[in-house]
Amino acid sequence: MLEIKNLHVKLADEDKAIIKGLTLTVPKGEVHAIMGPNGSGKSTLAYVLAGRADYEVTDGDIIWNGESIIEMEPDERAAKGVFLAFQYPMEIPGVAGLTFLRTATNSVRKKRGQTELTTPEFLKVVKDRASKLNIDFDMLKRPVNVGFSGGEKKRSEILQMAMLEPSLCVLDETDSGLDIDALKVVSDGVNALRSPDRAMLVITHYQRLLNHIVPDKVHVLAEGRIQKTGGKELALELEQSGYAEFQGKAA
Amino acid sequence: MMNVAVMKTKFEQSLTEQFNHVSARLPGGAAVGVARTAALGRFSALGLPNRRIEEWKYTDLRNALKEPLAVAVDDDTKVTVADLIVALGPLAHLEGPRIVFVNGGWRRELSNLEGAEGIEVAALGATLTAAQDKIGEALAGTTGPDNDAVLALNTAYMTDGAVVRVGDGIEVGKPLLLVFMRAGSEGRFVATRNVVSIGKGAAATIVEAFIGLPGSTAEGQHNSATEIHVGDNARVTHVKIAADTGKATHLSNWMVGLGAEAVYRGFQLNQGLGLARNQIFATYHGEGAKLDLSGLFLGRGAEHIDTTLVVDHAVPRCESRELYKGVLDGEARGIFQGKVIVRPDAQKTDGKQMAQVLMLSPDAEFDSKPELEIYADDVVCGHGSTAAELDTDLLFYLRARGIPLDTARSMLIESFVGEALDRIEHEGVREVVLDFARGWLSKLGR
Ligand SMILES: Nc1ncnc2c1ncn2[C@@H]1O[C@H](COP(=O)(O)OP(=O)(O)OP(=O)(O)O)[C@@H](O)[C@H]1O
Ligand SMILES: [Mg+2]
Repeated sequence: MLEIKNLHVKLADEDKAIIKGLTLTVPKGEVHAIMGPNGSGKSTLAYVLAGRADYEVTDGDIIWNGESIIEMEPDERAAKGVFLAFQYPMEIPGVAGLTFLRTATNSVRKKRGQTELTTPEFLKVVKDRASKLNIDFDMLKRPVNVGFSGGEKKRSEILQMAMLEPSLCVLDETDSGLDIDALKVVSDGVNALRSPDRAMLVITHYQRLLNHIVPDKVHVLAEGRIQKTGGKELALELEQSGYAEFQGKAA
Repeated sequence: MMNVAVMKTKFEQSLTEQFNHVSARLPGGAAVGVARTAALGRFSALGLPNRRIEEWKYTDLRNALKEPLAVAVDDDTKVTVADLIVALGPLAHLEGPRIVFVNGGWRRELSNLEGAEGIEVAALGATLTAAQDKIGEALAGTTGPDNDAVLALNTAYMTDGAVVRVGDGIEVGKPLLLVFMRAGSEGRFVATRNVVSIGKGAAATIVEAFIGLPGSTAEGQHNSATEIHVGDNARVTHVKIAADTGKATHLSNWMVGLGAEAVYRGFQLNQGLGLARNQIFATYHGEGAKLDLSGLFLGRGAEHIDTTLVVDHAVPRCESRELYKGVLDGEARGIFQGKVIVRPDAQKTDGKQMAQVLMLSPDAEFDSKPELEIYADDVVCGHGSTAAELDTDLLFYLRARGIPLDTARSMLIESFVGEALDRIEHEGVREVVLDFARGWLSKLGR
């Protein structure tokens, strides 16, 4: 279970508060969606879950599997099952996709006490998972994300997720930039990972994604806090009403 | 440039004085002797270069090398084949003939010139003694600058080295390895000289390695010079791997002459050197030649690594490329000076130069001095240099995928240096250089 308790976050090198008292619980086996206006702190929340050093937790706590993770390094969190699919995946010139995937996969396997995959084992798994996501295997020989289209980058994130087999999946606007077919393929990939052992937090602006990845709950994040929580029908309502009612209120 | 009369340092004194004691034991006949004596005279007059000489302003040898050192002559430090293999590290797997020198002296029993097909290799010492005046005259006509005190010291004291010849039209497949090993319990002054001649239309790969025998003193000074003449239409890959344990001084001069339409690719790796100065003087003798110089310097602690290039476009239609990458940690200092001269006749010259450094520590320092001297009007020349830190966003991305900090750093550093390593055409040699660099990276942050 993911428990975010009264979380306060500011920029590490500036006195700018972004998340201001956010509380949220996602039990294992559930998928929760987070929606909210631009600049409300959704990506910040995602980064803080993954351990990005640009942000500082000033109050509150994040508990994953009964353990506080806010003091952990990003790689330690990844080993504990935390995975963030980035809103803007980064390009890594000079590092081949396969090298990256293999190093990542074996790093977490090692930390989790699993045996590391040999090259043939790894290649077999990666080929299989890439083809399910309609990713051309040759693309993985290129440097990570370099020259990839927006949609290719998003699929590459989901492939990384499939390889790392995380237990807490945080998807930050994975649907943006995907065409209709790709949205279906990626959603199938995400749904394939749904299991009683996994919790998922899906950040999106569009109700459309939630037709494919049906959430157990929908939360509205505005001005650094959860303003409203509902079932999947809340996404439809928001599509009609927008976020006006949640904005301009003092936190 | 003249040096005003100053007090000689102990090093300068000791190198001047030892000549009388050892000159009789240095190889070569009368002509070589004359060249040596003249060179010693130049050294005595100049002294070691200091920061008041423009080309040496970042690397003040006079100040850095004050301690007296015994000149290595007829060194007999015991080194076994097993020792050699250990010292070679990743180079032990490089397939091809090798000639080995220990403390500046040829070791026949450690060398293996079997399979050196199409390439003639001999030890300089023996050659100087056998064909005295022919080689002596060749050396007297060296292409290096005559006011360079380091090169003068080399001529005065050179004990050995490789004489390499590839005949016209011969393509040599396997790389030739020249090994210069530092061994023993005391730091020495070692001077070696290689003379390489690649025939017209020939092709060869030559690797120079400067290494230390594990367990030996880390101190010592190696003064090395290589003269290489690349014939018309010949293709040469020339790689230097200077990888030591962090204290030794490495002073090196390459004098490269290119014939028409020749292609010369030079690469230099520097790591584990207390103080290094790598000079390359390249001159085009024929039109249409291509020169590609690249390198990687890795520094940590208080190491000081200087690369100084002088590329002389004396004739039209030649191309020069320089790409150097550096990684500096601790208080290490890197220097890159690249001078490109385009003479009035050298129209259609195409020259590009780039030096990029990754700074791993706020106390590291990088100085870059590009210099274009262009006297022709129809030329394309450019240069640039950058110094950057590791990208923290990329580090986060890698770590968010479970990759530990050390590994993530190494991956990013490797990707940064990769572009320079890719300039090495010979795959086996490229792998060896990468292995050395990885060895260096694996000790980061310890
Ligand atoms: N590293 C940073 N430096 C400066 N400002 C930042 C930084 N990270 C976030 N912010 C600011 O914090 C606020 C929240 O940003 P965040 O990216 O979390 O919004 P978001 O909800 O993901 O928006 P969007 O829907 O546009 O993706 C914004 O005002 C943003 O400019
Ligand atoms: Mg966002």
